[in-house]
Amino acid sequence: MKEKDVVSKDLVRELKAHGINRRDFLKYCAATAAVLGLSEFEFTSGVVHALEKPTSGKPAVMWIEGQACAGCTIALTQVSYPPIASVILDKISIRYDHTIMAATGHVAEKAYEDIVKQGGYILIAEGATPGADDRFHMGGGMPFRKRLEESAKNSTAVLAVGACSAFGGIPRACPTKGMGVSDVLKKAGINKPVINISTCPVHPDHLIGTILYVLVTGKLPELDSKGRPAMYFGEVSMHDNCRRRAHFDAGEFLKDWNDPKQKNWCLFEKGCKGPVSYIDCTVRRWNDGISFCLDCGGVCQACGEPVFYDKVTPLYTAENEISKKIWAMRGKSISKKTA
Amino acid sequence: MAKKVVVDPITRIEGHLKIEVEVENGKVKDAWSSGTMARGFEAMLTGKDPRDASYITSRFCGVCYSVHQLASARALDAAFGAQVPWGGNLIRNLVMGAEYIYDHVLHFYQLSALDYIDIMAVANYKGKDKELLAVKDKIVGLVKAKDTYPLTPRYAPDEFTVKDPDLVISAVNHYLKALKMHAKARNMGAIWGGRTPHYQNIVVGGVTSYPDLNQWARFRTMLDEQKKFIEEVYIPDVLTFGKGPLWPLAKMGVGGGHYNYLSYGDFPKDSAGKDLVFPAGVIIGLDPANIKVDPVDTKKITESVKYAWYKAKNPVHPYDGEQVYDLDKKGAYTFVKAPRYDGKAMEVGPFARMIVAKNPDVIGLVKEGAKPGAVARHAARAIETKLIADACYVWLDQLLTEMTKPGFKIHDTAHWDPPESGMGAGFHEAPRGGLGHWIKIKDKKIENYQAVVPSTWNASPRCENGVRGQYEESLIGAPVPDPENPINVGRIIRSFDPCLACAIHIIDPQTNEIRKFLIE
Repeated sequence: MKEKDVVSKDLVRELKAHGINRRDFLKYCAATAAVLGLSEFEFTSGVVHALEKPTSGKPAVMWIEGQACAGCTIALTQVSYPPIASVILDKISIRYDHTIMAATGHVAEKAYEDIVKQGGYILIAEGATPGADDRFHMGGGMPFRKRLEESAKNSTAVLAVGACSAFGGIPRACPTKGMGVSDVLKKAGINKPVINISTCPVHPDHLIGTILYVLVTGKLPELDSKGRPAMYFGEVSMHDNCRRRAHFDAGEFLKDWNDPKQKNWCLFEKGCKGPVSYIDCTVRRWNDGISFCLDCGGVCQACGEPVFYDKVTPLYTAENEISKKIWAMRGKSISKKTA
Repeated sequence: MAKKVVVDPITRIEGHLKIEVEVENGKVKDAWSSGTMARGFEAMLTGKDPRDASYITSRFCGVCYSVHQLASARALDAAFGAQVPWGGNLIRNLVMGAEYIYDHVLHFYQLSALDYIDIMAVANYKGKDKELLAVKDKIVGLVKAKDTYPLTPRYAPDEFTVKDPDLVISAVNHYLKALKMHAKARNMGAIWGGRTPHYQNIVVGGVTSYPDLNQWARFRTMLDEQKKFIEEVYIPDVLTFGKGPLWPLAKMGVGGGHYNYLSYGDFPKDSAGKDLVFPAGVIIGLDPANIKVDPVDTKKITESVKYAWYKAKNPVHPYDGEQVYDLDKKGAYTFVKAPRYDGKAMEVGPFARMIVAKNPDVIGLVKEGAKPGAVARHAARAIETKLIADACYVWLDQLLTEMTKPGFKIHDTAHWDPPESGMGAGFHEAPRGGLGHWIKIKDKKIENYQAVVPSTWNASPRCENGVRGQYEESLIGAPVPDPENPINVGRIIRSFDPCLACAIHIIDPQTNEIRKFLIE
């Protein structure tokens, strides 16, 4: 087998850009192939194609990160079923994700350009986009806004993960005026389906469940009125499934975290916004079911709702408009179907 | 002829970082570190209920989540006059201990290892170990399926890259195991933290999670598994690589920098608070043969904005800052400010803590010939992970005693409501290094908020005197034989475990002196 038959000119250029000359590459392939018991050609062409165009059949995924804390990326690594290693290596083909990819600098940016050119991938966007000035977030020499717009254009669908990406979240309240993905794309006149998988950070189950749904059915899941997967969001208020609910109705509110008797009382007076939170945390819980906000005596701040954060502050009192609305709900079931 | 090389983005870190280096004769001659994303959390906090701060600042960073929640709660404790009960501090320590274990393991395997190994060498594994053969099959399978993302593309392996198939396949196996282990470590923290990232239980005055014995037993059982992994896998891997194939890099001290180190000190072992897991101290110009540690005086901290995109202002103590965005500023190249201690650029983080503590294992490595630098940072990080895991056992024992006493407390309820006015500072030794939060309260609202975080120290730009930040200085002299393949730049920068989202702030004007927070 002659070199030119398996190593295309494109690849030679590619290798050169990566600091590898053709001879070293072929030597490496030959040595590896011998050990593998593969024919030299078989392994060489395997690696060649891996660098040129993958044909593994795994769906291509790109993950980009705007004004974010990477908490949603860490939430991705919390996925247990299927195990995260299997997600990364067996289920999807992660072409760009700056937190986990081996490539860096211009090699990473080349991978980005290649996948955008190829198109047909699922785009996962974490973090907000600065609305006040593009220069508040530059990366790889371009504004994040531009990266989001061009990568969304060639994608099949966009998953806006986390509160920042879905609705602007905390950055929306900041001077840099963070915007959610839907708003950015709408402003740019880009029409792509956007699935908001809100909460701060994204729930690992919500994220992987939505990805699996798209992969298994080839369709987008049904969405609620806020663009969130209806299988996790939208119907039932946290309040209706809260094990502290009876104490709300009985007017028993936790005042002292030191008192074991009050341990399971309602957290309304500590600022809980559970009743306006239409998310399945109370039944799904977090961290493989170990706990969740309300179980550790912490309060729900409706982090998956568009009101987060500017409308739910102050967080730890019952004095804002939302808390007043919640107070007026006493004695009623507030899930949407029955409200 | 010097050549400018831009590495943008630096991947496998938290946040958005650009590094520019000038390469001459195969070595870095000069370097610039740029944080390229800003949100402006602190300015947004002005006028808010002070208690919001611990919840909001946790979102500075989702990798080192809750370190800010803790530093912020400590600043609030000081400003509110709250006395955190020892039970509350024990639970704070334990959930942060879980955070450390997860964070350091993730950093070594998921964020750094790919800089040092040629993953494709697994194909040459000739052994018979079934587990390792499965790893080989997995990687060879990816190659055969013509899809090796996200393990490729990459910078080309260089002379320091480990290519020994036995070492590489074991590292790849541990890379896959570490994914499970650090997820479990986060679950361990969630027992009292509620969930991860971003715990929900740390508030001013203590914690909200009243513990029970089942939770205690669960934490302890999960800790056993973590400790085993740290002792039998993580530390041996770091030493096998550091003292084996990476020894030349260690001896060269690639990535050394200024040799100035700062640790605020943290993690009391008992309620008296005298004995700390990480002692406080400052080292200026480390001499490994004669380590001189001075006490920390936080009044000596100043911040410069000369090369950052903020309105010009002379360097001042963090409390006197007046930084407002100026995106058109000439000469500025980053959103990160330049903190200095007594005018010196400092390194914070595991190596700083371990050298300030004169940790015998780290001193031992130095005596054997390892110079402070990228490899030594990885070693210090592994060594302190074990210290924290061991401390968790001590805290668990104490918690068991405390929680079974009548009148057990986790929160200072009397100081839950914000004071009319007040101010306070909170310090924490986060996994990435020394962290400080400062708050001023007026009319029960936040008048001003500021954080000086580990990556602000390490990733800082130049200051008035032209002194480079620690990332920048640590790159000087680094071998870059091929400007198209600056693999050592990535190795050096990642050895600090950068976290850029939290390093970038907007600050409003404030004037007042610091009230030092004392760890109880």
